[in-house]
Amino acid sequence: MKLGIDIGGTFTDLVLLDEDSGRMVLGKTLTTYPDPLLGILNGVKQITRDSGVPLPSIGVVVHGTTLITNAVIERKGARTALLTTAGFEDVLEIGREMRYDIYDLFLTMPKPLIPRSLRIGIRQRMNKDGQVLTPLDLAEVEHAAERLIRRGVQSMAVSFLHAFANPEHEQAVGDLLRRKYPHLSVSLSSEVLPEIREYERTSATVMNAYTQPLIQDYLRRLKQALVERGFQGEIFIMNSAGRLTTLDGAQRFPIQLLESGPAGGTMASVFFQRQLVAAGNDIPQLLAFDMGGTTAKASMVRRGQPEITHHFEAARERRFKKGSGLPVRIPVIDMIEIGAGGGSIARLDALGLLTVGPDSAASQPGPACYGRGGQWPTVTDADLVLGFLNEHYFLGGTMPLRRDLAEKAIEKHIARPLGIRVEEAAWGIHRIVNENMANAARVHILEKGFDPRSFTMMAFGGAGPVHAFAVARLLGLSRLIIPGGAGVLSALGFLVSPVATEAIFSHVSRLDRMEWTTINTRLADMERSGRTFLQETGLSADQIQVSRMAEMRYAGQGHEITVPLPVGTLSAESLPAIMRNFGEEYALRYGRTLPHMPIESVTWRTVVSGPPPQISLYQQVKGAVSQQAQKDTRPAFFGKTWIEVPVLDRYTMPTEQRFSGPCIIEEFESTTVVGPDAAVWRDDFGNLIIEMF
Amino acid sequence: MSRTFDAIDLSILWSRLISIVDEAGTTLQRTAFSSVTRESADFAVVLMDTQGQSLAQSSVSVPSFLGVLPFLVKALLRDHFPPEQWQPGDVVITNDPWLCAGHKPDIGIVSPIFYGQTPEGRPRLIGFIGCIAHSPDIGGTLWGANARDFYEEGLYIPPMKLLEAGHPNETLFRLIETNVRAPQQTLGDILAQVAANDQGIRSLHLLMHEYGLTEIDTLGAQIIAASERAMRDAIRQAPDGTYHAEYKADGDGLNHPVRLKCALTIRGDEIWVDYTGTSPVHPLAINAVLNYVFAYTAYPIKCVFSPEVPNNEGSFRPIHVWAPEGCLLNAQKPAPLGARNVTGNLLYAPIMLALSQAVPDRVQADCGAAVWVMVLSGRHDDGREFVEYLFLAGGYGGRKGLRGEPTLCYPTNVANVPVEVFENDAPVLVLEKKLIRGSGGAGQYPGGEGQRFAYRNIGQHPIHISNVTEKIRHQAYGLFGGKPGRRGRLYVLTPEGKRRFTPPKGHDTLLPGETLVMELPGGGAYGAPLAKHL
Repeated sequence: MKLGIDIGGTFTDLVLLDEDSGRMVLGKTLTTYPDPLLGILNGVKQITRDSGVPLPSIGVVVHGTTLITNAVIERKGARTALLTTAGFEDVLEIGREMRYDIYDLFLTMPKPLIPRSLRIGIRQRMNKDGQVLTPLDLAEVEHAAERLIRRGVQSMAVSFLHAFANPEHEQAVGDLLRRKYPHLSVSLSSEVLPEIREYERTSATVMNAYTQPLIQDYLRRLKQALVERGFQGEIFIMNSAGRLTTLDGAQRFPIQLLESGPAGGTMASVFFQRQLVAAGNDIPQLLAFDMGGTTAKASMVRRGQPEITHHFEAARERRFKKGSGLPVRIPVIDMIEIGAGGGSIARLDALGLLTVGPDSAASQPGPACYGRGGQWPTVTDADLVLGFLNEHYFLGGTMPLRRDLAEKAIEKHIARPLGIRVEEAAWGIHRIVNENMANAARVHILEKGFDPRSFTMMAFGGAGPVHAFAVARLLGLSRLIIPGGAGVLSALGFLVSPVATEAIFSHVSRLDRMEWTTINTRLADMERSGRTFLQETGLSADQIQVSRMAEMRYAGQGHEITVPLPVGTLSAESLPAIMRNFGEEYALRYGRTLPHMPIESVTWRTVVSGPPPQISLYQQVKGAVSQQAQKDTRPAFFGKTWIEVPVLDRYTMPTEQRFSGPCIIEEFESTTVVGPDAAVWRDDFGNLIIEMF
Repeated sequence: MSRTFDAIDLSILWSRLISIVDEAGTTLQRTAFSSVTRESADFAVVLMDTQGQSLAQSSVSVPSFLGVLPFLVKALLRDHFPPEQWQPGDVVITNDPWLCAGHKPDIGIVSPIFYGQTPEGRPRLIGFIGCIAHSPDIGGTLWGANARDFYEEGLYIPPMKLLEAGHPNETLFRLIETNVRAPQQTLGDILAQVAANDQGIRSLHLLMHEYGLTEIDTLGAQIIAASERAMRDAIRQAPDGTYHAEYKADGDGLNHPVRLKCALTIRGDEIWVDYTGTSPVHPLAINAVLNYVFAYTAYPIKCVFSPEVPNNEGSFRPIHVWAPEGCLLNAQKPAPLGARNVTGNLLYAPIMLALSQAVPDRVQADCGAAVWVMVLSGRHDDGREFVEYLFLAGGYGGRKGLRGEPTLCYPTNVANVPVEVFENDAPVLVLEKKLIRGSGGAGQYPGGEGQRFAYRNIGQHPIHISNVTEKIRHQAYGLFGGKPGRRGRLYVLTPEGKRRFTPPKGHDTLLPGETLVMELPGGGAYGAPLAKHL
C-alpha cells in the first residue's frame, strides 16, 4: 500500500493505492495554515477510515510540498548568512545587471534573501583551475561565524569563487561550522550546485540555506507524527524533476523541492502514457496540459521521460516575466506557465482589443458567477454562458453558479462596448484564452525542434478538460486524453515516480583538448555516490539505471544544449559519437550544424535512477453498458449558432462505445467539452479518449 | 481580398505575429557567436508589410533598432531594389550605417516574403522580414572610440543580394570571409540571421494558411492604426509646450566634452524633438547618424507614454526628431561612428529632463552609466588569442515611489560576464566586484549604487584594452531636489601600487601585473532628501 500526499494552496490531496490490485482511494481535505501538518493528519485519518486500511499497513508515503516555494516568495525563511570570497560580497545583489522588461521604467529587481549586514567576505582565493592563490585562514572564519551566530543566524551559506573546480576551502569551512555549531544549517555551493557562474551558484546555495531549517523541522515533525500513529514504512519526497528523494536528501537540498506539485501532474501523465502504450496504443510523444484557476502549464514527455530543464527561477517579481526571479539552476520538469486559468479576467485593453489574463480573480472573489462579489468577467463565466459548464453541477453540484451574474459581467465589460451579443463576447473570451495557451505551447514545442502535430495531449486540472479540445485543435493534434482521477493527479504522480538523483560538475574545455581521465574520474564518482544513495533506499544494483549527459555548445557561443553521452569510459575514441549526438541535438533545435566549429563542454551530469514503480490501475469490466450515460441535453455555443448537445455522465459511460462530438461529459471535478468533428469513448482504465478528425 | 478584423481576431492575430518574430529572435540569440548579440540581445527581428512598414518587432530587442529595419526596407525599395526586382529566395545584406544602425558591426539582413500568386500567376510579394544583429567582427581597427575616420572601421557592405533566388553570392561571401578577424563566427552569425528570417517566413505561412489570409497589409494597417492611436492618446494627455534641456557629457573624458541640447515640443498628439545647439561632430568615433538618434530618442518617449503597447510603425508616427547636419547627432561621411552607442545611450538624459517638466510623475532621474564597454584582446600564455567584451552597469536612477536599483543600465540592457567565466576566457584575476556604498545620489528616492570592478593581468603578455566609459567628469543628475550620483573613476594600478592614467575613451596596454580599476558611477535621486539625510 502506498499513500501519496500533495499539499496545494487550497486542498491537501491524498491517494491511497494498492499496487497489487490497482485499486485507488482518493481523499481531499482543506490545507491548514500556518501548519500544513494538521491538514495532512486530518486527511490521513479520513482516508484510513474510508479505505479500512490502517496506517501500519501502508508501506510507503510519498509527499510533495509547497513549503519551500512559499517560504521564498513570502521571504519567511530562516535568518541566514553568507560567507563568500572577500571582494565579492555583493554578487547576490549585483546579479546579472539585466532589466527583465525594457519598456518599464518602474521595474523592481528581486531583493536578495540575505541582507548586506549578513554577507561576510573571507580572505581566500582559488584560480579557475582550482589552484589556491590565497590560502584559507580558519581563524578568520571562526571569528566571522561567532559574530554571525551572536546575531541570531540559524543557517549559513558558503559560496567561494571557483569552488566548483576545487571544493577544499568550502569543505574546510563546512567541517568547522558543522563541528563547532551542530545546530547550525550549513549549505556549501560545491555541494548544492557545483557549476560555473558565481551569481547563479550563490543564488541557489543561499536559497538552500534559507529554507533548510524549515524543511528539517517540518519533515522531522511529519515523520514523528506518522510514526506516533503507527506508521512503520518509508517516506519519500517528490522533487521538481519528477524524481523521488529520501527524507535525508530533501533535508540536505530543499531547493530541489521547489516545483514538486506541478511535477506530480506531469509524472501522472507519464504513467498513464505507459499504461496506454502497454495496452497497445501508440503514443510516442505527449503534451501534458494542466489548466487550473490561475495558470495553465504545459510540458512535454518523450520516450516515456519528461523533458528536463535547468533554467528555473523562484519568486519572480512578475510571475510570468522571465528574468524577474531568483535563479535556481536545479533540474526541473521543463514547463511553460502562462496566466490563463478559469479565473483569468477578460477586459478590453487600451487599444480596444479583447485580452484575457494574466491577472486572475483567483478563488476570492472568484469569477462573477461564483456570486462572491467578483465584478469582472472571467474564463469560467464565459464557459458557463457558452453552455460548457452546468450551473447546477459545478464541483458535483456542491457549488451552484450564477449564470445571470456571468452574463451581466460579460455584457457590461465586453459585449456592450464592442457592440456584439453576449454569447459572441463569451466565445471571444474562450477563443482568446485558448489561443494564448496554444501559442505558448506551440512556441515551447517549436523551440525544442519538434512538430506540435506529432503530440498527443493529456489534459487535467479543473479547467483543463473544458479547454483542451479547442487548444488541441489549434495545435493541429489528432488525439486528446482526459485521464481519470484528474482531481488528485499530482498526488497520484508522486506514487508512480522513480527514486532518482542527479549530480553535476562544471568543466569548461574544448572536446579536442579534453582531459578524459579527469572527466572519467568525476563521472565515476558521481555514479558511485548515486548508486550508494539508491541502494540505501533498498534498490538492488541491477535495478539501477545510469544516464550521463553534458551541456555543450560550439566554442564561442553562450547557450548550451544537453547532449547524451555514450556508455563506458570516455576517451578521444568517444569523440565521433559525442559529436554526432551534439550535431543531432543542435540540428533538431536550430535546423543546421556548423561542421567545422570546435565544440566545448560546460557542465557534465549524471542521473542515477531506480525503476518506475510497477503499478497497473484497476480495470473496468469490459462492455459494462449503462442506460443512463446520456443524462441530458443542453444548448452550447460553438462559434456560430447554439447547438443542442448531449450531456454524458462520465461515471456511467460504457466502455468501447463511441460518442460523436459535439458533446459534453460531466464529472465531479471537471467537465470535458468535445467539439464537432470528433469522437470520444471511455477506455478500460476510465480515461476519455478523444479522436479529432 | 481585404477584410477587416474585429477586436477578437485582431487580438489573436497580433499576438501570433509577435510570437513569430520572438521565436525567430530566440533562435538567433541562442545560436549567435557574438557575445553582444546573445548577452545584450543586441538584435532585432521585424516583420514588415509590402511598403516596409513594421507590424511586429521581437520584444526583447534593444532600443537601438527601433524603427531601423522599416527605414532600411523603405530605402531598399526606393533606391536599390524596387518591388519587381525581388524573387523568392532572395536575401539582401548591408551594414551601411546610414541605412542600418549607425555603425558597421551591425549587419542588416532582409528577406522578402511571398505567399500565393498574383492574378498574373507570379509569386505574390506580401511583405518583408528583416533582422539586424551585432557581428562578432567586421575588420578594421579593434572596436572602440578610436578610429580616425569611417574607413578605419572595417568592411563596408552596400545593399547587395547575399542570396539570389536561393543561390549564395559566393564573391560576396569570399570578400567578407577574407576581411574579418573571426571569419567562421562572423559568417556563422550572418547565416544564423538568414535562418532566423527563414523561420519567421515559415511560421507566417502557417498562420496565413490557418486563417485563410492572402496578404498581411490589411491586418498590418489595422495593427499600425491601433498602436498609433494609443500613442497619440497618451501624448494628448500631456500638457502642450516646448520644454528645453541641456546636458553635458564627457566626450573624450579629458578636454573635449560634448553638449546635448534639445527642445522637446508637445503639441496636441505629436512630439517634436530638435537637437539644434548640440556639439558638432567629435574627433572620437562617438558620432551618431540620424536614424540611430531617432531610435534612442523615440525609446525613452515610448517608455514614458506607451510602455505596454507592442512596437510597430504606428508607435513612432507621432514622434519627429531633428538634428542639423554636421552635428554630433547627424554625422556624415567620413566621420568615424564606431562607438556611437556612447552618444545614443545618453540621449534619454536630456529627453527625461525635458519630459520632467511636462509629466513629472512618469520620468526617471539620470542613470549612473550608459553601459561601460571594455574590450580586451591578447594572448594566453600558451599563445592562443582571445578577445573579450566586458559590460558594466552603474546605478539606476530613482523614480517616483521607487529608489534606483544598483547596477542596472538604461537605455541599453546588457548582462554582465560572470567573474568565473571572465577568468576562464582571459588571463586575468578579478580582485573585486562590489557595490560602492553611498554612490547613489541621496534623496527621497535615492539613486542606485555603482560598482567597483578591478582585474589584474596575470599572464605573461600585455593585454590590449579599449575603454569606453562615461560620467568620469560629469555626474548623473537628480530630479526635483534629488542629489546627483557619484562620478566614475578609471585608473591602472602598477605592480608597485602606483596609480597611472588610462584614457576614459581609447586604447591602452595593460602590462603583466598591472590592475585596471573601474568605479562605475551612481544613479541620481528623485526628490529632495528628507531632513534626516541632509
